[in-house]
Amino acid sequence: MAVTRLTGAPSPARSRIGAERGPAAPGRRSRVGRPRSRVARRLRFAGIVPFVAYFAVFLVVPSVSVVSSAFETVGGNFTWANITAALQGTYLVSFEKSLELSAISAGVSAVLGTVVAIALASTTNVAARRVVTSASAVFANTGGLPLAFAFIASLGNFGIVTKVLSAMGWNPYDHGFSIYTLTGLVVVYCYFLLPLMVLVMLPAVDGLRREWFEAASLLGARRRDAWRHVGIPVLAPAFLAALMVLFTDAFAAYATAAALTNGSIPIVPIQIGSLIEGNVLAGQQNVGDALGLGMIVVVAVAATLYARLQHRAARWQR
Amino acid sequence: MAALSAPRVATARAHPGAEFRLGAVARTGVLVVAALYFLVPLLASARYALEGAHGSYTLSSVTALFHDSVLLQSLVTSVEISLGAAAITLALLTPTSVWVNLRMPRWRRAMESITLLPLVVPVVVVVLGIYGAFPTGIVASPVLLALEYVVLAMPYSYRAIDGGVQALDLHTLVDASRSLGAGWAQVFRRVLVPNLRSSLLSAAFITVAYSLGEFAMANLLSFTTFPTELFQIGTEQVGEATAVSVFALVLTFGVLLALSLFGGRGRRRAVRTGLPAGQADGVVAELAAEVDAVLGHADPGRPGIVHDGPTMR
Repeated sequence: MAVTRLTGAPSPARSRIGAERGPAAPGRRSRVGRPRSRVARRLRFAGIVPFVAYFAVFLVVPSVSVVSSAFETVGGNFTWANITAALQGTYLVSFEKSLELSAISAGVSAVLGTVVAIALASTTNVAARRVVTSASAVFANTGGLPLAFAFIASLGNFGIVTKVLSAMGWNPYDHGFSIYTLTGLVVVYCYFLLPLMVLVMLPAVDGLRREWFEAASLLGARRRDAWRHVGIPVLAPAFLAALMVLFTDAFAAYATAAALTNGSIPIVPIQIGSLIEGNVLAGQQNVGDALGLGMIVVVAVAATLYARLQHRAARWQR
Repeated sequence: MAALSAPRVATARAHPGAEFRLGAVARTGVLVVAALYFLVPLLASARYALEGAHGSYTLSSVTALFHDSVLLQSLVTSVEISLGAAAITLALLTPTSVWVNLRMPRWRRAMESITLLPLVVPVVVVVLGIYGAFPTGIVASPVLLALEYVVLAMPYSYRAIDGGVQALDLHTLVDASRSLGAGWAQVFRRVLVPNLRSSLLSAAFITVAYSLGEFAMANLLSFTTFPTELFQIGTEQVGEATAVSVFALVLTFGVLLALSLFGGRGRRRAVRTGLPAGQADGVVAELAAEVDAVLGHADPGRPGIVHDGPTMR
């Protein structure tokens, strides 16, 4: 306080208000942190100019370029042709496949991940809990080529698990399973989505108070009723928010699918990749940009839903 | 905790309706199945990597890699790119975060949201945009990869740095140093950087890990980096590629552990005191906590944060 008064810029009344806010607004107290004149106030943003410039050049400019090219002919005139082309034929199929893949793998991982999170919250063994949490942190960060290779080595045509299963008289490849298909991709995607779900859901599950269930039970609820009227409603926003994160993650993934299927499953990122690599029909050079715009829209919708749901979910986590 | 568990079980039996947790059999079952799903592919790829003729074990796929000059060269390129990206990340984001916390604290949340934006634009789309917007000369240089990885890893790296900066009593530190006559350069070098060491290390680690593993952008921009070379090998010899990827995984875990041993001392102390006495002594648990801290998952309860680490998908 003494420092503030010595500088003399704010009225004592104002600085006292600042002091009352305490740790919530430490910036108010300090002489270094406070812009003192109009010039200084304007210079407030000067320090982040390098960041803003960098961000603009390397992310905003490319993104805007994709969005604007999606509405342009090769010559630069306005057109809807790219968008309509992207919503037809193989491109439409690729969107359907992508949505199907992301929805199924996110849904499966979300449900199983919640079960693991509940199992983890139930255990009284602190060491086990720590190990599983850190293992989840590590596995949630796998993906890409190493993961694709690991699954080819275990569940591929000549994988070790496949061999073991055939030795036991049940070759999964004779029963319609293949790691190189959409189902196979779901199995692989769950490998990094499920641990992610565990990490995201654990705080929410921990937030479920025993007392709530005890209260419900005292009011005559059976276990099922307590879940239906207390547990599930409390967990639902967190669950759905996490589902959005998982969906986005699966939707944008490229490397895993590229390495595993060598481009044979036409999901949108693979489709865009092959357009970039030059497999373009004449007159459709900008269709890739329209597909890219489509991806941005899908991810943006999921991200918005995430933000909304997360806001609701935060209510119960204290 | 252990003492508490016995009466807890008794309560559960007395009021079966009150118990919302899974039973012992169910939760063991869940954890065992999960462990199988996660460990079998790793073991399978290790076995695959070491597979010799007629079921024997051999290191030949692994040693073959050390004689593959293209692969080694690609590894050098990848290391250069990732170190470059980490250096730019620290140089760009540390002052930004300090400035935001010091001069424009109301913008803190906004900055957090802005730095999450790279997650909204899929990497493939950024590549499309690069081809559309950048001159060909720039697109041909691998420096571009380092520059882009800074942005792509930013959701994680900014969070790591900003978390550290917010935990400091920034105003007191800066006021004190400035009133003792330090210039801004000195404040950074002598006061802030030493205080932020573990955050800066984990931001650097996250960026390096991202850059070493990133495949999509490198491949689509036609650069030969470690992952794209791995992909090339994988199209012909899955065994060797698997060997490399196992090697890469082991290397990553090694770096992770080394980093936590040197970088996470402050945090380790916090973790130690944070656990109930008598249960923090497991070495595994401690290492696990270290990995946690480095990956930034130590506090998954913070609302509004995407808990995904750097991905290489």
